[in-house]
Amino acid sequence: MNIFVEGIKEGVNLIWQMDPEIIQITLLSLQVSLTALVISAVIGIPTGAALALKKIPGKRIFLNIIYTLMGLPPVLAGLLVYLLLTYRGPLGQFELLFTPSAMVFAQVLLAAPIVCGLTARAVMALNQDVYDTAATLGASRRQASATIMREARIGIVAALTTAFGRVIAEVGAVMLVGGNIRWSTRVLTTSIVLETRMGNFSTAIAIGIILLTLSFIINLLILKLEKRTLRYDNTIQIT
Amino acid sequence: MTTQFKLHNIVKRYGSRKVLDIDQLDLREGRIYTIMGPNGSGKSTLLRIMSLLLVNDEGELEVLSEKVNWEKEQLLYLRRQMSMVTQTAFMFQGSVDYNVAYGLKARKMRSRMIRERVNEMLEMVGMSAYREADARTLSGGERQKVALARAMAVNPGVLFLDEPTSNIDMASAAEIEKHIRTINQEQGTSIILVTHNLFQARRLADEVIFIHEGRIIERGSAGSIFDDPKDKRTLAFLHGEAVIQ
Repeated sequence: MNIFVEGIKEGVNLIWQMDPEIIQITLLSLQVSLTALVISAVIGIPTGAALALKKIPGKRIFLNIIYTLMGLPPVLAGLLVYLLLTYRGPLGQFELLFTPSAMVFAQVLLAAPIVCGLTARAVMALNQDVYDTAATLGASRRQASATIMREARIGIVAALTTAFGRVIAEVGAVMLVGGNIRWSTRVLTTSIVLETRMGNFSTAIAIGIILLTLSFIINLLILKLEKRTLRYDNTIQIT
Repeated sequence: MTTQFKLHNIVKRYGSRKVLDIDQLDLREGRIYTIMGPNGSGKSTLLRIMSLLLVNDEGELEVLSEKVNWEKEQLLYLRRQMSMVTQTAFMFQGSVDYNVAYGLKARKMRSRMIRERVNEMLEMVGMSAYREADARTLSGGERQKVALARAMAVNPGVLFLDEPTSNIDMASAAEIEKHIRTINQEQGTSIILVTHNLFQARRLADEVIFIHEGRIIERGSAGSIFDDPKDKRTLAFLHGEAVIQ
């Protein structure tokens, strides 16, 4: 119990003192995970929408693969990226291994299937009425598709928050492809592992608290953004 | 009066089941047509094909003097001259204003004109006070009125109504009926109405089309169909529905 209290105290101290290394680690964590999230959104949202709306041969199998990849073990994602980026690998010439770019690459591999799969489900959960109403009011295919996405936006935001949660908390893949190099590829999660291994449990807990706080703030911002687009309360009233 | 819809040997199947088989059907502009028939007789399928939401498997369809080829550009051109109100009166997430303005925004009208038209339509259905309200919190009757305002905002030549009053109380239904009549008489909009309500059909229709098992079995003026049905299936339906209603 003492360790937790010490950890919390140290966490507050680290934040209060604005330790330059902690700030760098925190900013790198944010940079890597947010970049991965944006890339995953750019890939995953249109792909998920297309899978839900278009008649594509082998769609079910493709969806099944996406759903399976949603549970891809981070270490395996890291290994795949490692093999691609290693000196002798197909992308070795770009010398990306042990750089933040490699970490982004690995995190995209984890987040894109989540964004894609959950977007597809959110769109598929909508009723035919959405398209029919838009079409009978004279919407073009593009306009009707935009309306469908607008109607599915709660589900899409859920996809984004889930994907962000996955990548910000992920350690296996970034450890493998980033290497946890000080001032270069060390992020919050890999720092926790390092501090734990060194027996600095309270520091590990302190970094964990920073990680959780960061995640809380980002999710709060995403939900605020969602609320701005949802002017009305969508809560089911249970009395 | 020109013919707005020409259907020739139209067939629609769901799997191996033939749900619609129309030899010939011509509908003229400016009239109120009522499509009647038992549940599962193909009324809504017919309406969805005519409103270009569902592709027929066989036959030829001519809408507003154009042979339908289901090409994207043609579909948009034809759909922009028609609109529809369904039984559920689906509302998009957002305000009543957003919903009524939807078709106008799709046509990229100027925002001032959109505002004026939305005002005009909401006034027509007596829903001006609800302009900023969440469309999904409205009652069934209010939704139908907003759906009607939304459909009429785009000034359609043809208005499809798929059981628009089946989920609402009699007072609201009477009000919707009044609007339907006004729209037809004052703006010359053709109305194609699917309804189960015999009295409503009789009150509104210039012509009744009776469908049974996907086929048109009888067609004529409301008076002739209700007073002197020629087909025993029509008679059985009218009798059964009349007893219930």
